[in-house]
Amino acid sequence: MSRIRAGRRWGLGLRLVLAIAMSAVIIFPLYWMIVVAFSARADLLGPELRFWPETFTLENFERVLTTFPVAEWFGNSVAISVVVSTITVAVNLLGGYAFAHLRFRGSTALFIIALTTLILPLQVIMVPLFRLITGLGLYGSYWAVILPTAASAFGLFLSRQFIQGIPRDLIEAARIDGAGHFRVFAQIVLPLSKPLIAVLFFMTLLQSWNDFAWPLIALKENSLFTLPIGLLYLQGQFGADYGGTMAFALINVIPLAVLFLLFQRYFVQGFARSGLR
Amino acid sequence: MELSRRHFLAGAGAVSLPLVLAACGFAPAAPKSTPKAGTLTFTTWGTDSELAGFRKGISAFQAANPGATVTLNAVPYKEMFTNIDAQLQAGNPPDIFRVQYYNFGSYAGRGQLLDLSTQLDSGFRDRFTPAAWSAVQNGGKPFGVPHHTDTSAILYNKAAFETAGVGPVPTAVEDAWTWDEFEKVAQKLRDSMPADKYPFAVNWQGNGVTRWLNWLFQADGRFLEDDLVTPAIKSKAGATALDFTRSFFPKGFVPPSDSVQSSTLAADIWFSQTSAMGFAGAFLIPSAAKTLDFDWGATFFPRNVRAGGDLGGNALVATSETSNPELAASFLDFMTQEQPMRDFCSGASLLPTRADLVAGGIEFAQRSDLSPVFVGQASVVQAQDAGQVASPDMTKIITVLKDQLELAFVGGQSTDDTLTAISAGIAKATGG
Amino acid sequence: MTGQFVAGQAPTVGSGRSARPRTRPRGEARAAYFFLTPNVVLLGLFVFLPLGGALILSLQRTDGFGEGSFIGGANYAQLLSDPLFWRAAVNTVLFTVLVTPLSMGLGLLAAVLLNSVLPARGFFRSIMILPMAISGVATALMGVLIFDENSGVVDKMLRFMGLPGVPWQSGGAAAFASVVIMTLWWRVGFNMLIYLAGLQGISPELIEAARLDGATGLQRLRFVTVPLLGPSSFFLLVLNVIYSFQVFDLVFVMTGGGPQNATSVLVTYAYDQAFVTRDQGYAAAIGIVLMVFALVFTAVQWRYNKSRDRGE
Repeated sequence: MSRIRAGRRWGLGLRLVLAIAMSAVIIFPLYWMIVVAFSARADLLGPELRFWPETFTLENFERVLTTFPVAEWFGNSVAISVVVSTITVAVNLLGGYAFAHLRFRGSTALFIIALTTLILPLQVIMVPLFRLITGLGLYGSYWAVILPTAASAFGLFLSRQFIQGIPRDLIEAARIDGAGHFRVFAQIVLPLSKPLIAVLFFMTLLQSWNDFAWPLIALKENSLFTLPIGLLYLQGQFGADYGGTMAFALINVIPLAVLFLLFQRYFVQGFARSGLR
Repeated sequence: MELSRRHFLAGAGAVSLPLVLAACGFAPAAPKSTPKAGTLTFTTWGTDSELAGFRKGISAFQAANPGATVTLNAVPYKEMFTNIDAQLQAGNPPDIFRVQYYNFGSYAGRGQLLDLSTQLDSGFRDRFTPAAWSAVQNGGKPFGVPHHTDTSAILYNKAAFETAGVGPVPTAVEDAWTWDEFEKVAQKLRDSMPADKYPFAVNWQGNGVTRWLNWLFQADGRFLEDDLVTPAIKSKAGATALDFTRSFFPKGFVPPSDSVQSSTLAADIWFSQTSAMGFAGAFLIPSAAKTLDFDWGATFFPRNVRAGGDLGGNALVATSETSNPELAASFLDFMTQEQPMRDFCSGASLLPTRADLVAGGIEFAQRSDLSPVFVGQASVVQAQDAGQVASPDMTKIITVLKDQLELAFVGGQSTDDTLTAISAGIAKATGG
Repeated sequence: MTGQFVAGQAPTVGSGRSARPRTRPRGEARAAYFFLTPNVVLLGLFVFLPLGGALILSLQRTDGFGEGSFIGGANYAQLLSDPLFWRAAVNTVLFTVLVTPLSMGLGLLAAVLLNSVLPARGFFRSIMILPMAISGVATALMGVLIFDENSGVVDKMLRFMGLPGVPWQSGGAAAFASVVIMTLWWRVGFNMLIYLAGLQGISPELIEAARLDGATGLQRLRFVTVPLLGPSSFFLLVLNVIYSFQVFDLVFVMTGGGPQNATSVLVTYAYDQAFVTRDQGYAAAIGIVLMVFALVFTAVQWRYNKSRDRGE
């Protein structure tokens, strides 16, 4: 008995050390980001090894906050990301149900084709997509960003996995009772999908929040830009302003990180219930 | 594709109307003297001081032309031309944009820019230096105005020079170090510096590979013949320039990360004091003055058979399908008048393209003691050198130079093979 | 409850199914069209239509500005003999082969570790997933700063310890490694998250049963846990491969494809062709080839997964 207990204690110690080591490696770049954000430029280029800002300064933040209309861009980011996430969730929930529970010809092939849209990098379709957006008259409005971004099959993949996990018996029972598919969807699938909705909404929010290449091209005017575009401005013609870049990256990441940490538990739950065992 | 036909028709319309009017004698004789009205969109990137300079110029223009509005759209440098390309292809480009001289040809040679010879009067060329004017030509016609120029000189760390015992630094462009003298200076530095520091760093990274041409021109070489199609680089001058610049790496004069395709900029190497000298343009002066805490100065680029420099800097251009070509031309004219150009250049530490300002000199707002070095350096840029950069295939040539020089510097490719490959690549790019 | 949540498996249904055999397929197909319409419209309009445009472009020689000239499959033929294309393709495959198993393996280890009893477990988990919130560009910029071979902190630390600095920018293999390292840093949290969720879906009785049968920790992991995590692994495999094939920001910002094309991948090569060399047709061809590779891979993976499920 004592050997097992000792073994367990030793195991615990080792595991704790491993966990700490792992976390330290992960946190180091983040720590560095913070150090750089609070350092003066001259410090960054010095030859000595330093783990702490020599001169702790807020000048990077000041510079970045005065140069860019951060509040405006923040608002744009929020508006766009929330709408994209909402549309994505709605569209992919419907689609996920179709692929998960409805039998129709070509369902597998269609699904794989939809999946391949995930592979398409923006750079390949950038010009044709831009022509399309201009042709549709969307150029320079939020919709130029919202619609193409919402057209993502990641949610479809996830929804299908999750909804497949909803017992078919429940669905069958409702159908026998005479319910149409939409009623089944609304009354049975939807209430059971809360974790899926949370996860999908958040993951889409995350991706859309950090998107910059397409918003830059599709949102004509500076006043409509989203927050990450500011990072690009800081990579000037003559080299990057690292202090400002990291300060800005911090500003960009903090709302997300906060949301993340608050809802971390729901994610794990959401993914768990998605039948991704 | 209908879009390109529309481009063409719109562009043709914009250009032909003034011609018709001129033929019928209805066109105003001197467009720049009558105030214009309308709206223009002007897309550009820039440092804070450059953007401030543009805004100031725009206010002055609007004041002189009530009824005219110019909207400045400042975009990140990294994505500037990807966006301009996409906008041009989708049919909704800005009216005016700023473009580097080496990129100018790509747009001018493809009918994307407004032909200014029909908009501005014939004496217009006289206000510029020949080198600057040659940089905005395509097919013998001007498609933009040279707004400012920039050329590389040497920034040096005074303490490092003292430690190495480097003698007095040239203060007149005629006395610039020769290649031999420069090599001796570099060797002195190499001997006195620790192994992880280097005598200098050259600013030929990425699209800055055109700075290698400085050395080619100084050996009195060319990369294109006058027809701007036939390669001219496989020559004794080419070999001299390449041999000399290649030697920097094995001799430990430059850090290994100072190659052409490196993502580390020479400026950062010099700023961090990893090198004693850094080749740089004047535009670095404001940020250097603000952030560096060591003593530094500037001196001229070395010379060989002759002095020579590449013409860095940017032009302002109007797009061929702008809806208000007269106003656009008028704006371009305004921005290159004496006062606006002087204000812009001294505020942003850039060099003027007007002959009168080059002769009289301008003073930088910061480190004005260094203005003579850069103005002097710019004065040795020759039209025959600058004109080659205006080739419509320049961006393709830049890719060839990037690939081959990288192989020569850090890939062990011989000088002969490199020149042959560059020559072949240029021929492929120009179709000649 | 857990038994019914296995994805991909259609549980047997009661007699209600056979009651209305003929109306079912037609009714279902019609319902399917209704449910799928928003998806089809969005994907069709904003993905497939531009993709079609890209396909047409790939059959032309054009710089995008003027009329292109139709050259049929010449771009594709050129790809076959273009050493730079093959270099980019090899690099992309190498990148995928390195990043995918490493991020999944490290994610699994982290998940197993942080699923076990530990103090401050929630804290450790939060740290691991924090990198997910950071954008690709910001990650790459951090990488540039940290791995700079002249003034970056990694080399400074190495030199401090008396070791030679690693040429992260001027050495091909080192540059590749730096990109892989930053990618792993960025992606391990996501992999861990999925596996954590998967682990929590495994009923503890199964693990307990294996332990009572005498299986060691490692054996339990290998023979019970990992097989039960099959669906999670499949999900991660597909996503990781898709992501690796289309990696752009990290490579572009950290190394620009250098030194000497050591880190050039398919998407950076396509981008260079489109916007620097301005051969839009050729760039489009590269993109189409990339898609076809990935499509083939996904279909194969799908087929394999389906047969594996059926075989269980």
